[in-house]
Amino acid sequence: MTIAERVNDVTEAGGRAALRLPVWAAPAGVAALFLSAAAYIGAVNPHDAGHYPTCPSLWLTGYYCPGCGSLRATHDLVHGNLAGAWDMNPLFVIVVPWLAWRWMKWLLAVTGHPVKTRPAPAWALYALFGAIVAYWIARNVPMFAPFLAP
Amino acid sequence: MSEIPPPPSMPPSMPPQMPPNMGMPGAGGTPPNNNLVLAIITTVLCCLPLGIWSIIKAAEVNGKWARGDYQGAQESAATAKKVALWGIGVGLLVIVLYVVLVVVLGVAGSTSN
Repeated sequence: MTIAERVNDVTEAGGRAALRLPVWAAPAGVAALFLSAAAYIGAVNPHDAGHYPTCPSLWLTGYYCPGCGSLRATHDLVHGNLAGAWDMNPLFVIVVPWLAWRWMKWLLAVTGHPVKTRPAPAWALYALFGAIVAYWIARNVPMFAPFLAP
Repeated sequence: MSEIPPPPSMPPSMPPQMPPNMGMPGAGGTPPNNNLVLAIITTVLCCLPLGIWSIIKAAEVNGKWARGDYQGAQESAATAKKVALWGIGVGLLVIVLYVVLVVVLGVAGSTSN
């Protein structure tokens, strides 16, 4: 059994019922995981060298990826420093509330109060993809680096 | 007791993710979960090009669904999920390797001092 299948089994209803976990176990577990990670990153400062590994993409290629600066941004957010987080990785600052919203939707869905939303139109998803690739490139362009690079 | 029975994650009025009318034209229905959340998490938190691959696969899902390519939509969604989970796995592996290295290096450093 691959890891992906195992994850599927645990997160889907059948596996959950077999394990006799409450319906909100998966969202609660994910929230606990993310919050403990955030607490750790808040406590151990990624602005100082030597506490965390370098982003593997940066280490391998020498270019910033869309995720570079996320650790430092997390640290800054935990300490309420929104401007600092924005300086490190603006995409990350935008993504965090969206992830929180998707998590809330997930929690509401498994507890029987699904929020009905229209599926995003295809063009919006492609636009998002294009925007992230553009962000990736722009972070490495000296002209935009002061705003976008970590 | 009320927690034990597997409750439907969606009300019965909404079609399940794997539609029974698969292959039938239009007729609404929600596209499969495109796993965009996983793709974004991989991209932003794991620093891996796998995230980018996952996003493009996730982006294909709704478009294929709208065109009636239900099987293609399912495949893209599955690929997006698989690739994103690989990305998260590799990211975790890097962290574990780093911790092991630091512990080993730390031991080496303390003995040399």
